[in-house]
Amino acid sequence: MAKFRNNGRLTDTQTGILLVIPGLAVFIAVILYPFISAIAMSFTDRSLLNPNSSFVGLDNYIKVFSDPYFFQTVWTTIIFVVFATLIPFTLGLIWAIVLNQGFRGSEFLRGVTLVNWIIPGTAIGFLWSWIFNGQYGILNGLLSALGIIDENISFLGQPASALICVIIARSWQMLPWYMAFLLGGLQGVPVERIEAARIDGANNLQVFRYIVIPGMRQIFFLVLILGAIGNLQHFDIPWTMTEGGPARATTTLSIEVYRTAFKNWKLGQAATVGTVWAVLLLLFSVVYLKQVRESD
Amino acid sequence: MFQKTLAFRIFFIFSLILIGCFVFLPLLWMINTALKPADKTFTLYFFAGELTLENIIGILTDKTIMTYLKNSLIVSFLSSFMATLVSSFAAYSFSKFRYRGRKAIMGAFMMSQAFPQAILLLAIYLMMQRFHLLGSYWSLLISYIVFTLPVGTWTLKGYFDGISNSLIESAKIDGAGNFRIMTRIVFPMAVPGMISIAIYGFVWSWNDLLYAMTLVTDPARRTLAPGLVMTYLGEASTNWAAMMSASIVAAIPVTVIFVFLQRYFITGLTSGAVKE
Repeated sequence: MAKFRNNGRLTDTQTGILLVIPGLAVFIAVILYPFISAIAMSFTDRSLLNPNSSFVGLDNYIKVFSDPYFFQTVWTTIIFVVFATLIPFTLGLIWAIVLNQGFRGSEFLRGVTLVNWIIPGTAIGFLWSWIFNGQYGILNGLLSALGIIDENISFLGQPASALICVIIARSWQMLPWYMAFLLGGLQGVPVERIEAARIDGANNLQVFRYIVIPGMRQIFFLVLILGAIGNLQHFDIPWTMTEGGPARATTTLSIEVYRTAFKNWKLGQAATVGTVWAVLLLLFSVVYLKQVRESD
Repeated sequence: MFQKTLAFRIFFIFSLILIGCFVFLPLLWMINTALKPADKTFTLYFFAGELTLENIIGILTDKTIMTYLKNSLIVSFLSSFMATLVSSFAAYSFSKFRYRGRKAIMGAFMMSQAFPQAILLLAIYLMMQRFHLLGSYWSLLISYIVFTLPVGTWTLKGYFDGISNSLIESAKIDGAGNFRIMTRIVFPMAVPGMISIAIYGFVWSWNDLLYAMTLVTDPARRTLAPGLVMTYLGEASTNWAAMMSASIVAAIPVTVIFVFLQRYFITGLTSGAVKE
């Protein structure tokens, strides 16, 4: 555009680049540089206790891959991601269908539901630790009042149940998020197509199966991918509820990286676990980005 | 959408009650525990019984926790403001300017939430240590901007795309510079989007535990989430009434913001990923 009239002002291209610089600078400082530097760190014996570090080649990788705990951690992460994504997705979908019926108070319920999602994960972790508490928790209280159990169960103290508890708490936190997206998706399903199907004699299940699900495919895909990425990253709830225990039962990759680096001070080894994890995340992210590009 | 057949009614009532209980009872139980007198914490009565504000007042008069709360407010307001500003600049640039590398930078911004945060933290920690920023708010402020950036630029770009180029062209012919066009024409039209991004940024920084726990080593600068974890976890005898009260106090600011700005909030929440 008319460059000659600028009289010492910046050209459009210069302005455009200038505007993107703050964002780009923060991106480089907080994402790009740390990411590359962490990958580099994974080939060193860097420790928080010792300022000097040296190149150790693949030592950390050999150590990590020969550690049986590492595979347990990966497995725990997979279980956590799968269930903590699918459970709130399913419940969120049902809840969205219920609220979409537009009965009196449904707007209010929708608003109140979202509160669970915006409050701090720390508070949610505290709340569910209290509910599942082995001595005085309400769940034990209810179960024994109903005569289902004779003795209190230490839900968070046993490896098998602790992971389930953490998944339940995370599902509770994320249900509103899925509900918000899916409610939007439901409202976007074309009414004419449902009416046309009705005239052809379709029942509720057929409408759901052949009109609603295909109409929401893209949004299903998007929330599942975003939800899975979020769960792969998730830290707060397992940390506040169990600190990754008991016996590492709730140690996911994010907790493992944090603990290796900031509790055991082994930065190099933490970076190695993190790099392996980043590859996992990358797979999901590529799929996500492709989807975003297509919808653009 | 669905016909009210008998089967659907059964499904509807069944889901409403079961999911309703799952969604709403836990929070009510939190409030219930916080309102019971300390010696009644382990009883099972549900609101129908003796209630008191003692526990909550105990938290509100706890100097340490109030310092954490103050720090959280400072960090969340500042980072939300900065993130909104940075996102607005970037979104305007992506929407109305054309230059080499634009698409690549956009792609990079979109990806930033998908990098594993815990691994970034390793290098950020060392970097902040080197610059002696671990005792200040800056390490958190800088980190939080990035996490609002993808949703922020995406949402605001949507708003800016809606502003016609001819409007900008005619302002140019009238002699307005790019800066003037931005502050007087473009930004005012995206105010709702900016509000939703500001809320998103606020909630993100308010709720963050991982970064806040690691990057702030000075107790005087500690924010609420790590503050509560360090106060209550690992204690020999857990004071559940205090923990529930503290959780409520931590949840109130974000809840209040949400209640008043719900409309913007839901837009901000969903528009980050779904483009209409």
